[in-house]
Amino acid sequence: MRLAEETFLTDDFVRQLSNVGEVDILVGLPTHNNAKTIGSIVKTIQSGILRWFPRERAVIINADGGSRDGTPELVTGISIDDVRRGSDLHALRTLHSISTKYAPSPASQAALRTILSAAELLQAKACIVMSPESCSVEGEWISRLLQPIRNDGFDLVTPTYRRHKFEGLLITNLLYPMIRALYGLRIREPYAHEFGFSGRLASEFLSQNSWDDGAGGSGIELRFTLAAIRAGHPICQSFLGQKDHVEQRGSDLVPALRETVGPLFSALEPDFQVWSAVAGSQPLPTIGPDHEVLLDPVRVNRKRLRAMFSAGVAELTTVFQSILSPPTLAGLQKVAQSGEDDFEYSAELWVKTVYEFATSYHKSVINRDHIIQALAPLFRGRVLAFLIEHRNGSAEDVENAIESLCLEFERLKPYLLQMWKSRE
Amino acid sequence: MIWTIVQEESPLPINQDVLWYKDAIIYQVHVRTFYDSNGDGIGDFQGLENKLGYLQQLGINAIWLMPFFPSPLRDDGYDIADYTAVHSSYGTLDDFRKLLDSAHSRGIRIIIEMVLNHTSDQHPWFQESRSSRDNPRRDWYVWSDTDNRYKGTRIIFLDTEKSNWAWDPISKSYYWHRFFSHQPDLNYDDPAVREQMWKVMSFWLEMGVDAFRLDAVPYLVEREGTNCENLPETHLILKDLRRRLDEQFPGRMLLAEANQWPADLRPYFGDGDEFHMAFHFPLMPRMFMGLKLEDRKPITEILQQTPEIPPSCQWSLFLRNHDELTLEMVTDMERDYMYDSYAEDKTMRLNLGIRRRLAPLLDNDRRRIELMNGMLMSLPGTPIIYYGDEIGMGDNINLGDRNGVRTPMQWSGGWNGGFSNAEPDRLYAPLIQNPVYGYPAVNVLAQVGSGHSLLHWMRRIIEVRRSTAVFGRGSIEFLHPANHRILAYIRRLGNEFVLVVNNLSGAAQAVELDLRRYKGNVPIEMFGKNIFPRVGDLPYLLTLGPYQFYWFRLRRI
Repeated sequence: MRLAEETFLTDDFVRQLSNVGEVDILVGLPTHNNAKTIGSIVKTIQSGILRWFPRERAVIINADGGSRDGTPELVTGISIDDVRRGSDLHALRTLHSISTKYAPSPASQAALRTILSAAELLQAKACIVMSPESCSVEGEWISRLLQPIRNDGFDLVTPTYRRHKFEGLLITNLLYPMIRALYGLRIREPYAHEFGFSGRLASEFLSQNSWDDGAGGSGIELRFTLAAIRAGHPICQSFLGQKDHVEQRGSDLVPALRETVGPLFSALEPDFQVWSAVAGSQPLPTIGPDHEVLLDPVRVNRKRLRAMFSAGVAELTTVFQSILSPPTLAGLQKVAQSGEDDFEYSAELWVKTVYEFATSYHKSVINRDHIIQALAPLFRGRVLAFLIEHRNGSAEDVENAIESLCLEFERLKPYLLQMWKSRE
Repeated sequence: MIWTIVQEESPLPINQDVLWYKDAIIYQVHVRTFYDSNGDGIGDFQGLENKLGYLQQLGINAIWLMPFFPSPLRDDGYDIADYTAVHSSYGTLDDFRKLLDSAHSRGIRIIIEMVLNHTSDQHPWFQESRSSRDNPRRDWYVWSDTDNRYKGTRIIFLDTEKSNWAWDPISKSYYWHRFFSHQPDLNYDDPAVREQMWKVMSFWLEMGVDAFRLDAVPYLVEREGTNCENLPETHLILKDLRRRLDEQFPGRMLLAEANQWPADLRPYFGDGDEFHMAFHFPLMPRMFMGLKLEDRKPITEILQQTPEIPPSCQWSLFLRNHDELTLEMVTDMERDYMYDSYAEDKTMRLNLGIRRRLAPLLDNDRRRIELMNGMLMSLPGTPIIYYGDEIGMGDNINLGDRNGVRTPMQWSGGWNGGFSNAEPDRLYAPLIQNPVYGYPAVNVLAQVGSGHSLLHWMRRIIEVRRSTAVFGRGSIEFLHPANHRILAYIRRLGNEFVLVVNNLSGAAQAVELDLRRYKGNVPIEMFGKNIFPRVGDLPYLLTLGPYQFYWFRLRRI
């Protein structure tokens, strides 16, 4: 039952919120069928609050997308006494855990909107969102994401992780370097599922974000980060350690691109005045290391990647002719014809590919979603090249390569501006 | 004269119910602090007797008198030098008898202190005991050639004492003391001591004293390898005193001072054959904590941990008393929180506690003072009001030890606050003089004349509390509304139900109470007697202003 037409939250949820009252700390937990992991995550959150913030008024808000595996019941059913038992933790206060369903289907936009709305109604001073899929979450994460907001005046805290050198390649090869080049801030994890933010940022984003912009709600976390950058909010990074997670999201590349590259390309248009004025980039204040790299051997089906890249370049030539400049397309076709031993998708060619896609997206040369889809085979090619180049690389080699790529994005930014303006 | 404006009540007979203490409202006062009738700067029995009309009007029906025995007064009289006499500063034994009779004639019982555990080092018993190892009273105290015995025993007065043993240069041995070193512990392993202390108690009981507050009872017996607290041997001694009391003085009462956790306190009630009442020490700091946190959790948690007690027994509740707000019965984290919340200024801290009065602790916020008194009067137990708190008296943290909360009662804005005709320099302690709490601003006379005063409000709440036995004798059932800032409970005695709803928050609150078990009842607000909507199937919605509380009589009409 809704309060009124324009009201997003249910009456029941508002009633639960009124029982919680004003809080200092809000932990948002978006879920959808996370029964396998959610119990231990809630206990870890509770113990983190008890250990690091025993005096603060805190609440755990579960925004659930209609789980059928009892996830909300698990969230609300875990007693703080379970956490205290067998530990030296003691609770001064009541710690509420409340749950609400936001929509019949999972949608990160609705979940975050629910959490931000709760934060505003409860006048939360500091908030975090935690991923329901993490297997390695530790109580200290709560502190590391909240303390910079509570104590140091930051409005957004993004995480950094200990990652395998081939993990998160979409972030290291596209999102991180492109956001760094365009917006001038070196945010290692701009698209995070664990992050901290101030109540002020929550309220601002809640009121300014277009919640019905037809983007399907994808990539809301990235839009949140970009909104913080755009408004000039103080941002920092905090190292959380290793992140293991249960794979629940589809591992298909195209949905991942829609969630990340789509919102990024979309933001470039309204943010033009912001990013066009930025030159170079600045490191962020970072608590702990800004990255750590694991080097365990991993199995990668390079042949399949190679085949998908080549097939994509061949089959989508017509599409690419609309999106890419002739030199760039020619370069890609040359790469597609090369053998595995001399396969090289250079940083320069990759950056130009991405920038030309962004410009085409801006001009809507074809359906925007088709543009995003068309990037998929090319990204696979870039990944293949990265894997080949660094299969024996050390952590330092990989980090140097990422840094070089970032600098290439920064060096070619005038190229993007030139295209952007010439096609106006 | 102040008391002439207080209308005298007609004499009331003493209630003969043996469970009288369950219905009591106890007023704690030191004779020295209340009223000086002879102009020597020290309150006395005659002065207290003169003020009984005030107390009767306040509505209390028992007075707990702090130690008034001959004493060197190095611990505010808890260092007794003679158990069967009164300190000359306060008057004579006849004056005490007169006070006792006058109080009884007004329906007010008298509870006196009995310090069983230790005496003053000036007591003749100790002087004899230390005089030689062959003295017949040598074993009346705990002596040792070494200070290594009973190592597992904590030190209570951490700020002043380094050991529980003190060297006596006269007898060249160590004596045991759980409190100050000038307060040697009596040796209850000696039958002569036990007999002597019963004789002392009988002396006062025969005079007509209604009850004893037995001081420091957990520490009577020492045993190697234990923490020397709450030992079975101690309970046997206390049960023996109770047996004698019941046999020879039925209807009299024993109140235990044992600053312990609820589970450790429970044995002091025995099977209804040890103490009639005991202070609930852990509850008091948690009431303050719950108020500051705006969260009922500390209060409900400690009361849920509180074991059932025999039907004839009763908890004794208090907000403040003559000692520091003790934080012994809280966790380290809770203690830190309490210090930061209520005693940021370190001079307010003493031992493991906070040496402040009620009003300053609550920032002189009338709403919070009322709420705390509302809880005091409605939670299960017999409430104790510390003298002066009924008018919101302040404290003086510049006075040493706990003397800052033991300043003269403020009767008026006149000479010495109406306490004494003596020269101000002769008063046993200076009056509170600061602009907020000083006697010109806070005094009985002014509050008698103001219908909205705290004093009038206290009279009213005591009147309402005494209008039903349910608060003193009823059971309690906590409600668990989702709003944690609301502390709600049902008090029940037979077919009588009272719903209590407290808002611990400084902001207005809405709360939905699950009262389906009381469907059909009409809540009648007990102060204004107004009827509220009948309880139905739906959650019962109430809104409460900041720190507001309601008492509803539930009537099935």
